[in-house]
Amino acid sequence: MEPYIRSTDITLTFTPKNRDAVTALKDFRIELNSGEFVSIVGPSGCGKSTFLNVLLGLLKPDKGEMEIGGKKITGPGVERAMVFQEFGLLPWRTVLANVELGPELKGESVASRRPRAQELINLVGLTGFEGHFPHELSGGMKQRVGLARALATDPEVLLMDEPFAALDAQTRDLMQAELLQIWDKHKKTVLFVTHSIEEAAYLSDRVIVMTKRPGRTKRIIKINLPRPRGYEMRLSPEFNDIKLDIWNNLKDELNARE
Amino acid sequence: MNRYLSQYRENEEPILGWGFIVLFLLVWEFIPHVVTLPKGLALFFTTPYHIGAKLVEMSTSSEVAFHFYVSATEFVIGLGLSIAVALPVGLVMGRFNTLNAMFDPFVTAFNATPRLVFLPLVVLWFGFGIWSTVVIVFIGALFPLLINTYEGVKNIDRVLVNVVRSFGANEWQLMKIVVLPNSLPYIIAGLRLAIGRAILGVVVGEFFGSDQGIGYLMAAAAGNYIVDVVFAGLILFMAISLVMTMAVKKLEDRLSRWRPEQVKTF
Ligand SMILES: Nc1ncnc2c1ncn2[C@@H]1O[C@H](COP(=O)(O)OP(=O)(O)O)[C@@H](O)[C@H]1O
Ligand SMILES: [Mg+2]
Repeated sequence: MEPYIRSTDITLTFTPKNRDAVTALKDFRIELNSGEFVSIVGPSGCGKSTFLNVLLGLLKPDKGEMEIGGKKITGPGVERAMVFQEFGLLPWRTVLANVELGPELKGESVASRRPRAQELINLVGLTGFEGHFPHELSGGMKQRVGLARALATDPEVLLMDEPFAALDAQTRDLMQAELLQIWDKHKKTVLFVTHSIEEAAYLSDRVIVMTKRPGRTKRIIKINLPRPRGYEMRLSPEFNDIKLDIWNNLKDELNARE
Repeated sequence: MNRYLSQYRENEEPILGWGFIVLFLLVWEFIPHVVTLPKGLALFFTTPYHIGAKLVEMSTSSEVAFHFYVSATEFVIGLGLSIAVALPVGLVMGRFNTLNAMFDPFVTAFNATPRLVFLPLVVLWFGFGIWSTVVIVFIGALFPLLINTYEGVKNIDRVLVNVVRSFGANEWQLMKIVVLPNSLPYIIAGLRLAIGRAILGVVVGEFFGSDQGIGYLMAAAAGNYIVDVVFAGLILFMAISLVMTMAVKKLEDRLSRWRPEQVKTF
């Protein structure tokens, strides 16, 4: 089967004013099958967010191309949506208005976007908070809004940039389980960036380990654990073996400074 | 007793604020009764009672009403024009570096120059009267608004821009959905400054470049040593400043409902 998303070797160099140029990605390539859950782990600063932004259509690589469903990516598109690390909620908009952002920008009428937004708010468990502003929500609730917002345009691909990094451990476990449920039910393709080996192993079909900057693929590790995955699975020896495998690939890339 | 105390606690700020004004007026009123002022000073001295009486008298005079109308018109047109120019120019300068590079030296130079030095030229160009003052008001109010709007746009949250662009927003939608709301606190702060400058512009313009308006009345009265009228005009301007500032505060409260309330601490 043709992969749903694929790229040629992507290279991207930042040339900030008054600073040295930084090559964030060098010959990084990726293939994702439709409906797959893939995680990327790598040392911080290795270019993970940069890559997501290329895929999202916000950054143009210096070299290389990306294709989605056979079509070249030249900018943002409705088949892709991102869940941002620091939530990225518009603070002056209510939960409802934040969730409706995508459909609103697509020019959908209130009558058609409102019921769907409400449905998604219910889905992520925020019923009753439609009129709240972001500052009135906890971190976990904010990220639920971020997730609902990303789902609102009904994208094929969900890009997630360390979405749970700012959450406490319990909230994080809860959100992971809910994300898996949503993924299973709505058949999205997910590309998930995380710092947590445990999180990557628990959620993914495959884990891509990146090298330190300039980032390229170091190893791709297949996670052959049965689904649905429960919390107990995390305590099994197989799960620990997978974590160890990821760690062994990652540890040489980690810089003592970071 | 306790009830009064708790009522006082709730309204401590306004009670203290107004209380002090009342105290100030009382002391002022009684100065001539307590001390004998030297002759030279007594001539130019007046008390709150006389000023109040003058204000009441002026408020019924159709001539004063006309001058007030002139001043208000200058203020509204000048400030309105400055808002209409400063907002779009500030937004565009903040978004497009090329335009900023073009306009920035111009804005900086103009803003650093005291507005009074434009007055002779403005009077030559726009004539003695209302339009000169309007221009002075406009120049005064323009720059704080423009510079604040620009700063607000510059202080935009990159993440929010990315979020909105990722949903396919064009530059216009980006302005409407992120840039403008994000800049609003800056714009409001600029508006507050601009109102002060605009009132100053009315006064200065009418003092030196007009034969109409409350500022002109004051200047003319001062020339004839009619101190009551000068003070009455002063109070009128103070009152207008106060009302406008309060209106901006109301506007700010309305527009910032989404912001966290100040949390009470010990
Ligand atoms: N807009 C930018 N301008 C300059 N350098 C950048 C920019 N964005 C990212 N970088 C640099 O590129 C490298 C990769 O960044 P990023 O993709 O954010 O890493 P991470 O893997 O932690 O998400 C880092 O060294 C970062 O400093
Ligand atoms: Mg990152």
